[in-house]
Amino acid sequence: MRTYSPKPGDNTPVWHVIDASDVVLGRLATHAATLLRGKHKPTFAPHMDMGDFVIIINAEKVALTGAKKQQKMDFRHSGHPGGLTATSYSELLESNPRRAVEKAVKGMLPHNKLGRQQLKKLKVYAGSAHPHAAQQPQPFQITQVAQ
Amino acid sequence: MARVKRAVNAHKKRREVLERASGYRGQRSRLYRKAKEQVTHSLVYAYADRRTRKGDFRRLWIQRINAGCRANGMTYNRFIQGLKAAGVEVDRRMLAELAVNDAPAFAALVEVSRSSLPATAA
Repeated sequence: MRTYSPKPGDNTPVWHVIDASDVVLGRLATHAATLLRGKHKPTFAPHMDMGDFVIIINAEKVALTGAKKQQKMDFRHSGHPGGLTATSYSELLESNPRRAVEKAVKGMLPHNKLGRQQLKKLKVYAGSAHPHAAQQPQPFQITQVAQ
Repeated sequence: MARVKRAVNAHKKRREVLERASGYRGQRSRLYRKAKEQVTHSLVYAYADRRTRKGDFRRLWIQRINAGCRANGMTYNRFIQGLKAAGVEVDRRMLAELAVNDAPAFAALVEVSRSSLPATAA
């Protein structure tokens, strides 16, 4: 008996909606990354995308523990000398909450072509609305919430 | 003593190495010296990785069993503890096979494991 190896087309992805309100950012990202990679399915294979689609809503309401809102910084570099831009997460969650969530999930996916492909199945939105009603996404519950 | 001509064996030796190196990148498939170095290494890697493969598959089976357990409200760790306590000797390869192709049988094994866990470890 050969170990099951998925063929192209074996994956029928499901859509999940995660409400990020008051969920700790890293805990949110681990769940999202698990679903995107397909590690929740017995058919998981490390070389193929067996994951589902994940919609994250209310990205701006995500929780950070401790003093991370002030202390944790988002760094970007333009490539020019002195081109480093540092934004604190309190500002980032105001101006671009999608980036905060996407960055956290991206860091938890494989850093290769497959990981980049899996990241494309992540849809993050600030606010509670999303345009994927046609995909009939299922709500995904995260039990652990911020104190 | 008879005279030995070397060309036949020399060509054969080089041909065999270059044949093994066919499909390699750049000079490594074309030049004898580069091909010889790469073929020596490749054989070493192939030998080692035939042994690594055993562990790679065991890892994959465990990941799949874990996914199946979590779908049944249990972790891999507790599942295996329970199976051991129950004296079930199905190996990980077959457990993974059940998780993929026979979900009801796998769920039954999860129940067997759960019922033989000590009360403290729920």
